[in-house]
Amino acid sequence: MLVVVKAGGRTLMNNMENIVKSIVKRKDWKVIFVHGGGDLVDEWERRMGMEPQFKISASGVKFRYTDEKELEVFVAVLGGLLNKKIVSEFYKQGRNAFGMTGADGPSVIAERKRRVIVKEKVGERERKRAIPGGYTGKIVEVRKEPFEALLNSDMVPVVAPIALGKEGELLNVNGDQMAAEIAKALKADYLLLLTDVPGVLVDREVVKEIRAQEAEEFAKSKIGPGMNIKVIMAGRVAMEGTKVVIADGTKDDPLSVIESREGTWIV
Amino acid sequence: MKVKCPVCGAEIELPEDVMDGEIIECESCGAQLEVKKSGDKIELKVAEEAAEDWGE
Repeated sequence: MLVVVKAGGRTLMNNMENIVKSIVKRKDWKVIFVHGGGDLVDEWERRMGMEPQFKISASGVKFRYTDEKELEVFVAVLGGLLNKKIVSEFYKQGRNAFGMTGADGPSVIAERKRRVIVKEKVGERERKRAIPGGYTGKIVEVRKEPFEALLNSDMVPVVAPIALGKEGELLNVNGDQMAAEIAKALKADYLLLLTDVPGVLVDREVVKEIRAQEAEEFAKSKIGPGMNIKVIMAGRVAMEGTKVVIADGTKDDPLSVIESREGTWIV
Repeated sequence: MKVKCPVCGAEIELPEDVMDGEIIECESCGAQLEVKKSGDKIELKVAEEAAEDWGE
């Protein structure tokens, strides 16, 4: 059974030992582990005297604006420090892991966003404006061979959300999208998105199941920012046959949700 | 300053403080237009649609 597990930075920083333990104890499962870590990038930028830049998109989504300097910190912190901390945690717990980014291989190719439209207040007026897209990309291709080679060597690929652009540039890509595209390309049985809440919440209750065909409509009408993007992506992955589970990554044994059918299932 | 919409040809009155890259909507046809400003010269072109998939 192949499971792609993705943990966000905050969930991972608070519960890395248990998340890794949960993967290690399921020896028969093949696992690809994708991590986020935006919060850690912010922390390191501040340590280095830089202020993280956030902008508001035309539709009101707050997003990180990755310029050339910010990209350097992004790659150093996520592709370096955090990625290697995770690999070392696997080693401590007795399983071999291989730290990588999508640029290695290359295994994940993205298209650089040339322009983004942002909302900003300049002078007296709030205006919509097209600005250079920075170093952010949308994944267009996953080359499955590097992942298959690592899985066949009984290693856990640990993947930082960095892809290679068509002109060889390093790009910041969304961790959920990275996990979703890898799951699709490798036809994973499960995609498990670990967050710091028990699943998709509507009126403070966990939604048990969302049908793949209804996921996008459900996300747009009933769910708030952040989680809505996860559900839209989950729906697209589930349409291709991979079951998607959004669940609590702060527990002692987060992967047990696949056996106990907890969290929110998108099928 | 008045310029012509490249889609429907309607005249569009631009704000005085209009900036390069600013997105203006044509009131006549609804097209989203990007302002291209170099020196005193101002042109409008149809703004490219940007899908919203952000990085980490």
